[in-house]
Amino acid sequence: MCGINGIYAFRSAANLPTDGELVATRDHMRTRGPDGAGIWWSENRRCGIAHRRLSIIDLSERANQPMVSTDGGLVIVFNGEIYNYPALRAELQTEGVKFRTASDTEALLHLYARDGEAMVHKLRGMYAFAIWDVVKRALFLARDPYGIKPLYTANDGWTFRFASQVKALLAGGSVSRDPEPAGIVGFHLFGHLPEPFTLYREIRELPAGHFQWISEVGSHEPRQFAKLATVLAERGRNPGAPSELNAQVRQATLDSVSAHLLADVEVGVFLSSGVDSGALLGLMRDAGQERIRAITLGFDEFVGTSEDEVPFAAHVAKLYGAEHIVRRVSVNEFHEDLPRIFDAMDQPTIDGVNTWFVSKAAKEAGLKVVLSGLGGDELLAGYPSFQDIPRWHRRFGLPASIPFLGRAARVLTPLLTPSLVRRQPKSVGMLEYAGSWAGIYLLRRGLFLPHELPSLLGEDMAREGLRRLKPVSAIAAHLSPDPKAASGRVCLLESCNYMRNQLLRDADWAGMAHSLEIRVPLVDWNLAKALSPSIPGFVPGMGKQALALAPAVPLPDTVRGRSKTGFSVPTGRWMTYTMGPAVQHFTKGHASRDWAKLVLKTPNFSFVQAL
Amino acid sequence: MSVVLALVTDAFGGRGGIAQYNRDFLSALASCGHQVTAISRYAPDEVQLPAGIVQRSSHAGRIAYSVAAFGEAIFHRPDIVFCGHIFMAPLAWMVARVAAAKLVIQTHGIDAWSRPSRLVRWTCEQAAIILSVSRFTRARVLDWAAIPPERVLVIPNTVSDCFKPGNGAALRHEWKLRDKKVLLTVGRMCASERYKGQDRVINLLPRIINAGLDVVYVIAGKGDDLPRLERLVHEVGVSDRVRFVGSLPHEKLIEAYRMADLFVMPSTGEGFGIAYLEAMACGTPALGLAASGARDALLEGALGFITDDATLGRSIVEILKNPDVDRGELSRKVQQAFGVDQYRRCVSNAIAILEQTA
Repeated sequence: MCGINGIYAFRSAANLPTDGELVATRDHMRTRGPDGAGIWWSENRRCGIAHRRLSIIDLSERANQPMVSTDGGLVIVFNGEIYNYPALRAELQTEGVKFRTASDTEALLHLYARDGEAMVHKLRGMYAFAIWDVVKRALFLARDPYGIKPLYTANDGWTFRFASQVKALLAGGSVSRDPEPAGIVGFHLFGHLPEPFTLYREIRELPAGHFQWISEVGSHEPRQFAKLATVLAERGRNPGAPSELNAQVRQATLDSVSAHLLADVEVGVFLSSGVDSGALLGLMRDAGQERIRAITLGFDEFVGTSEDEVPFAAHVAKLYGAEHIVRRVSVNEFHEDLPRIFDAMDQPTIDGVNTWFVSKAAKEAGLKVVLSGLGGDELLAGYPSFQDIPRWHRRFGLPASIPFLGRAARVLTPLLTPSLVRRQPKSVGMLEYAGSWAGIYLLRRGLFLPHELPSLLGEDMAREGLRRLKPVSAIAAHLSPDPKAASGRVCLLESCNYMRNQLLRDADWAGMAHSLEIRVPLVDWNLAKALSPSIPGFVPGMGKQALALAPAVPLPDTVRGRSKTGFSVPTGRWMTYTMGPAVQHFTKGHASRDWAKLVLKTPNFSFVQAL
Repeated sequence: MSVVLALVTDAFGGRGGIAQYNRDFLSALASCGHQVTAISRYAPDEVQLPAGIVQRSSHAGRIAYSVAAFGEAIFHRPDIVFCGHIFMAPLAWMVARVAAAKLVIQTHGIDAWSRPSRLVRWTCEQAAIILSVSRFTRARVLDWAAIPPERVLVIPNTVSDCFKPGNGAALRHEWKLRDKKVLLTVGRMCASERYKGQDRVINLLPRIINAGLDVVYVIAGKGDDLPRLERLVHEVGVSDRVRFVGSLPHEKLIEAYRMADLFVMPSTGEGFGIAYLEAMACGTPALGLAASGARDALLEGALGFITDDATLGRSIVEILKNPDVDRGELSRKVQQAFGVDQYRRCVSNAIAILEQTA
């Protein structure tokens, strides 16, 4: 896990990029890579790339980046981990390739030399990288299929820039801060920035599962090389026998966890009271890891309530013989850390506080790498949305298709049942959005609904943002090709929207702020491919049950039977202290709305409100 | 090689910056081997066509122009329809549809800076690529058009090699400017726009004179804002220091660039600012504001001088007092960055990107 960046003045008239800018962008990402830093310039100085290193595989200086191939023809900067690199290395060595280091970075260089852009199909892992091809005078960028690692780009028409963080690009001083209405509207609709948009018009995220070429000809459009919908649609045609599900889940998750333990430093685990992290811990044990340190967050506010994860987590840690580290977080610490949290937050988000504190705890324990159960709910139908969304579609889909009924309901509901609307502000949108899967998802995950935006952002910003973002069709694009089953559709909706743009982004900035690499074995392309025949057929509870039974010593019934909590943080309650007792939160949704407003008041993002 | 149908207001035989741009662009296409047919609305001057280009006789009327455009689309089946101005984008879109051709739309300056009508915006969003003359214009287009940024490309203006350093003494003699420090602005004086900044320079003249400089400000160009500027010159009390020389024929324009000490155009509304390039190609240093497309023409200060409104007067004085300019070197640098060869490469790159679009 590292920070990468680069500048390429592809248009011959453009001024040569400067050391100052390249280094300013790189060093804004200091916490991403505290162990080393480097820069490299092409001979004509039109292209410069830079790297900050967090060393995890091959800790020697030979593995520093930017890494140049032996013949000098290729240069790479890479953020992430390639979990199948031992196999790739062996394959390349049998073909006569000589390795100078033991790093996965070098494997990428050789693989590109052999396969060119087709190399991306061989990779298993989380990655964002850039390769400068000296002969082609072109940059090749790629980002992993799930979008675990971030990669932001900015093209002003003459010069192309990229970096692992939006704020790092801005720190270089040459990228426009003109606002992007689609990003601003996206944040209000979802509580996160939907890719490829950011808050700034000039900065875009290279979408997950895409690569992009930038040559002397110019910046070429990103091309998609992997899509989850395609995997589910193709493999879902031959569903596996339900009786084989448990064995299949066990085999595939153990394989993924084993792959994710590849490191030259100790790998820990985030342990909540849920099935996902508990099963990961058990599988780590099965994969042969001897010493395992598991970290759990505890809050005084939750002691004695069902939300307290500590007793359950302690039970699971004991079961698998892990060293259990319980980190207590108080409201005071929350307030103390809040400015740093906002400073580290790369783009506005309504979540990530939990990851901030658990990453902080991991760093205090001296860990550089941890496994997280992130992604289990998306893959194994763990969220309530796997029940709610199909139910809403059955119940409201037909009336929602009657022209104008949805809009009429939106106008009339507040008049007829004002208290319902106060408690459930999104209820007014049910008949307007329930006509399509994408519409229901917008409603289900939405922070605010489109009709609320003009009063928050002004008419023009709301209209322009919605026009550029096209939220419903953007969500619907992830559902094509159609997996033809409810669970498959919700899996796509959650994986390609909430998980990609919210959970994975939050894990990145909050982990990186503590120089911690968070690995996600349940967000793994091989795992998704292995389970894809079963995913469309999941009924609620089935996938999670299989995961709970996956370790050789299965998770106990007490954990299996717990309703979903995840890593929850009493932020709603803490905000009442922050914003005053006048703030009354009926639901988590209300708290999220207030949190979103608070985020936009911080210095980095307050320009949005000034627009 | 592609068959290109260019729908332009004017090109060969036309006058002004846009006609010049269209001539440069179409000539570059033809020199890359593409077969170009242009339909022009106006061609008041003699038409001299390079090889590979056909220009249909001008059709000023909208209906006649549209009929000619559809006729070309139907009978000659172009692969690419080039639309020279965004106000013609809806027509160009329909013509491209009829011909099943890829649509390329050119954006220049202020015409494309604010959000156009819904129809024009929508048709621009259907274009395979949009071309802009500067990064600034590109950014403004991306403000209002929902189109992937990779499809909006910058092709800067170019400057012909007939703009080169030479002796300006004859014109100085004719205009009685011997031993004077001469400031020059070349640009339209349009009452509805007023962005070129001649008024800024006029207001600064007393300060420049007070700094001990025997300065004369030559203003070339014409337009309906001229009476206001003449009044301003009178009010500021610098009538003996300002010369309005009107619109200059090509040869004389080159001489004017050569004889000036400093080309100054503190404009806030340049799409690109070809006049900066022409002046610098003639070896004369150029000064502009850090605003709009001028930043590109002046290469962010690497080629010309860039200043802001507050320090404009000081900058002019400093440059005039330190006239240490290698005119030959400046001209070479301009040709290196914006010469015809560079321009052709830009055009052929744009066509390469166009060919990749679906």
